[in-house]
Amino acid sequence: MSLLSSIFLLPLVAALVVLCIPRNYKFVIRLVTLGATLASMLLALALFAKYNAAPVENGFKFVEKHAWVNVSALKLDIGWHLGVDGINLGLIVMGAIVAFAAACVSREITRLEKEYYTLLLVMTGGILGAFASLNLFFFYFFHELALVPTFIMIGVWGHGENRNYATFKITIYLSLGALIALAGLIALYIQSGANTFDIVELTKAVKARPLPLAAQSLIFPLLLFGFGILVSLWPFHTWAPLGYGAAPTATAMLHAGVLKKFGLYGLLRVGIPLMPDGATAWLEILAFLCLGNIVYCGLVAMRQKDLNLLIGNSSVAHMGFIFLGIASLSIVGVTGAVVVMVAHGFLAALTFGLSGALREKTGTLEMEKLGGLLRQIPFLGAALVMAMLAGCGLPGFANFVGEAMVLFGSWRAFPLVTTLATWGALIIGAVYMLRAVRNILHGPEKSEWAALKDASAWAKVPFVLLLAALLLLGVWPRLLTDKIQPSVAAILTMANTKTADKAARPGDVKKAADEAKQRAVQPR
Amino acid sequence: MEPTLSPAGYAALTILLLPLAAAVVALACPCRDPERTANRSIGAIALGFILSLGLFFFAGDKAIETNFNWLSVGDLKVSFGLLLDPLSKLMLLVVTGVGLMIHIYSRGYLHGDRSYSRYFASLSLFTFSMLGIVLANNLFMMFVFWELVGVSSYLLIGFWFEKNSAADAAKKAFLTNRVGDFGFILGIILTWAALGSVNFTELASAVELGGRLADKAAGFSVLAEPLGKIFQSTNWWLVHPNVLVTLVGLLLFMGAMGKSAQFPLHVWLPDAMEGPTPVSALIHAATMVAAGVFMLCRIFFLLDIPGSHALEFIAWIGGFTALLAALMALQQNDIKRILAYSTLSQLGYMVMAVGLHSPQSAMFHLTTHAAFKALLFLGAGSVILACHHEQNIWKMGGLRDAMPRTWWTFRWGTLALCGVWPFAGFFSKDAILAAALDPAHRNIPLFVLGVFVAGLTTFYMSRLVLVAFCGNARSEEASHAHESPGVMTWPLVVLAVPTLLAGAVGIDAYLAKALPSEHAPHNEGFLNNLFAPFNHNILAAGFGLLAVVAGYKLARALYTNAGRDPLPDKLGVLAKMARDRFYFDELYEWFISVTQETLAKVADWFDRWIIAGLLVRGTHGTTELFGRALRLVQTGSLQTYAFLFAAGVVLVLAWQLLLQSPAH
Repeated sequence: MSLLSSIFLLPLVAALVVLCIPRNYKFVIRLVTLGATLASMLLALALFAKYNAAPVENGFKFVEKHAWVNVSALKLDIGWHLGVDGINLGLIVMGAIVAFAAACVSREITRLEKEYYTLLLVMTGGILGAFASLNLFFFYFFHELALVPTFIMIGVWGHGENRNYATFKITIYLSLGALIALAGLIALYIQSGANTFDIVELTKAVKARPLPLAAQSLIFPLLLFGFGILVSLWPFHTWAPLGYGAAPTATAMLHAGVLKKFGLYGLLRVGIPLMPDGATAWLEILAFLCLGNIVYCGLVAMRQKDLNLLIGNSSVAHMGFIFLGIASLSIVGVTGAVVVMVAHGFLAALTFGLSGALREKTGTLEMEKLGGLLRQIPFLGAALVMAMLAGCGLPGFANFVGEAMVLFGSWRAFPLVTTLATWGALIIGAVYMLRAVRNILHGPEKSEWAALKDASAWAKVPFVLLLAALLLLGVWPRLLTDKIQPSVAAILTMANTKTADKAARPGDVKKAADEAKQRAVQPR
Repeated sequence: MEPTLSPAGYAALTILLLPLAAAVVALACPCRDPERTANRSIGAIALGFILSLGLFFFAGDKAIETNFNWLSVGDLKVSFGLLLDPLSKLMLLVVTGVGLMIHIYSRGYLHGDRSYSRYFASLSLFTFSMLGIVLANNLFMMFVFWELVGVSSYLLIGFWFEKNSAADAAKKAFLTNRVGDFGFILGIILTWAALGSVNFTELASAVELGGRLADKAAGFSVLAEPLGKIFQSTNWWLVHPNVLVTLVGLLLFMGAMGKSAQFPLHVWLPDAMEGPTPVSALIHAATMVAAGVFMLCRIFFLLDIPGSHALEFIAWIGGFTALLAALMALQQNDIKRILAYSTLSQLGYMVMAVGLHSPQSAMFHLTTHAAFKALLFLGAGSVILACHHEQNIWKMGGLRDAMPRTWWTFRWGTLALCGVWPFAGFFSKDAILAAALDPAHRNIPLFVLGVFVAGLTTFYMSRLVLVAFCGNARSEEASHAHESPGVMTWPLVVLAVPTLLAGAVGIDAYLAKALPSEHAPHNEGFLNNLFAPFNHNILAAGFGLLAVVAGYKLARALYTNAGRDPLPDKLGVLAKMARDRFYFDELYEWFISVTQETLAKVADWFDRWIIAGLLVRGTHGTTELFGRALRLVQTGSLQTYAFLFAAGVVLVLAWQLLLQSPAH
């Protein structure tokens, strides 16, 4: 096994190992899980360290390619094809780190550990595999491999009386989203006529012969809304706060942090470069929909009384910045969107991890019942303050870099949306984040929490790790952006290629003329 | 681009990073001995002060820039860059010098607090962020440190977070600042979109380049199209370059409005007094609130583009804030709140000076104000500690004999604040008043307002001194008060030196090197400088002193040996309104509850009942109903199936025969 495939095959192999361990050996089960995720994290970090931004053919490095199913009679070609470029590199590293952190916080699980850890490992392997795959078949397959354990974990190890409804809702929503996206992918396969699921081959084929406009404008919305449902695009977002509120901590961390980014990644990897003309019309709509995420869900978050619902809504709100950055189709905006994808992964994992730790200690996440906790739990409290400040875009954390880039990058394309998004980022976000800090951590000490103990040294590990990642990328963003930028530039070159029948549309001719006029007026 | 570091660049980098290192060490390894954290913080800022002195005297007047490539994507190029010019070197001295005194003072003031090391860690974090604003060479970096200053202020106001009032004040300060930052970042984005850079030097040359073209606001006309998109119109007034330049200027000014607590974002500063008193001295009097004024001076060339009307607006906002805050100060009884309102009022002066095309007098007043206001706050802290955390001046009295050292330093600070010759405040305030009379940008209403506010300032400060320090003790605590320890009084003595001398040492002449000015003041030696204001513009100096005399006479008549405040009887409802801060807080609370809170409620209701309820549960319910209905059909009984089959055949036949037949 080479470096890239071992990152996600290790957890899958470990899942098989855990299956073979008798269920009484809880310590061994946990050790195997921790070891596998730790090893996969270290491998991912090694991958990150080895990656350099030097241009290569097709833009992918660490490529692994093997033929698997090739039936020429059925025009079917499914091959094992892995590779990383600047866009999925950050996601894989982030996913591996979050997976390790999720394994660390899984100590809260006290029943059916064997099944739980098996599913956790399968989920981890699935997520990382989906991001590493360059073949649409495996891309989709690994996503489903990660998605199914999510449902089971929420149903079996979830919290609260809403658990069953939440499981039901998240299952239907996400299956529906995945199905719509699948329909889009199959349509794409057929329309391209290239008889391949391989993303690189598809890209080449589309470059040579763009899809007809009619097909593009039908297939792109399928991908946009299919993937959009997976990412909780407004108004298909209500599964997310509910689902995360009920999910066990590790599942919420992995899903909100990593798996949710699959839809965005798919949009960026497949949707926009392969169907640029279908995208242009829909991206305008997307820009306005993402206000639903940023502003509307931010406002909803302001009204929440339960910490997990607040975090869930804020996580939905943050997705809006990624959508906005992608919709801007500018190098600054899209690069910023990728940075937010990575940063939000760490942040979501951190906040859900902390809220899980808080629930484990106090038994409740009702903010009115908590209060004055900072004195009792200085470490968890300080980490929560930092997470909340990172969430409202404080410089020094990676989220700020990404969000600022999105706002800078999308101003030209969508000035009104950008202005409102800035309002959402700076004010609405700060209102609910600080309200949570005020209600949970500040204020007079309450007698019922007098005996609360802070996290033990081992329990601090995942939080320190996630905070360190956020701070490192926030202080030194070039670590990511220098790698992301060339890959984004390649995608944007494809996205901005106008096909013949597009230019023929009367509206565009007028727009192009207007643009030319505008350029003539401008002195610079 | 590899950075080339000159020795001065190294020094600046060291000054900036030392406090950060102190803060990180304090957080990463909380040592058992909190004294050591304090010493590390003090050591960091002391070293910074020494290096700043070195830079100030030996680095020359040439601007030195150091750039590290921090972020470079597409046409967004941001460097972690340090800019050393006279402006930032003077500000470095202010921040590290005043900061050092306050660090030392804090060591005594917070002695024995259980979060001693957290305090010093936050203080060092603040110092780092503030130095970052001072040294930043581009708008983006300035915004980064701007936000960090905001958060360190949040942490320090909420230092005693168990107190509900402190926790609320911290939140309020952060959110109010965020409203200003919202405008600031939009202004930065617009500036970047128009001029293609965020670096101050590059922006200045872009503006100058525009100045050489016929249309002086050329770069900003790029904004016409997107702004037209926002307002769905192509009205001439939106596309007109003057409007665009003014808009950008005002958006950038919003940042200063938040940090420097200008009307209408002034409400957070008085509440910020919930923090420990040295914090009020450092952050909410001397440095952080001055950041807004500093920023305006830094970007003055953007506000001063011909055609822009931003400066007029800024001048009036500053003047109005000065007046409003001085009126509110008249009826406050909390010693720290009186000082807080006077800070607001003095910041109003500075902002007004920027608006009057005289950034150098704004910076001059900022510098002297930093010294004497820090002195006043630290003196107030000494009083508060002596009176066992009593802050009401009507429960003090007679402290002049009990606390001799605090008394004379506090008196000096008051004299400087009122603008009595030859104290430093006289010179800087005179410079602002003279700017209002400057023939190039004469503004008589603002001059009158400035003089009136000077009178008010003397009145309320005399009230404070007469009530708290003179007369007889009005409470048990005040009669047992005794002088604070040396660690607290020596900083007062040190700060008293610039309070007396800073006016005539030629700071204004030094500033003229960095900032544009029509009549650059010359440094003619200390003695000549002492009398320069009278030679320069006797009108400004004369009226300024007259206002001081009038204010003092009035206060002495009312408050000598007064047992209670006679003003409410004389002024009636006006006094009550002043005491209740003209109801701005209530107004804002009402406004926020009808706008943002209502929006949030509506959004929450919509989410709960329409999207999650009606649409999602509705779809789910319809599907389920459909399923249930279909289930009724599947009975499993053969007879029913046969019957339904037969019935279906009959129906199809009937349809064919009866409905289709009339067509024949």
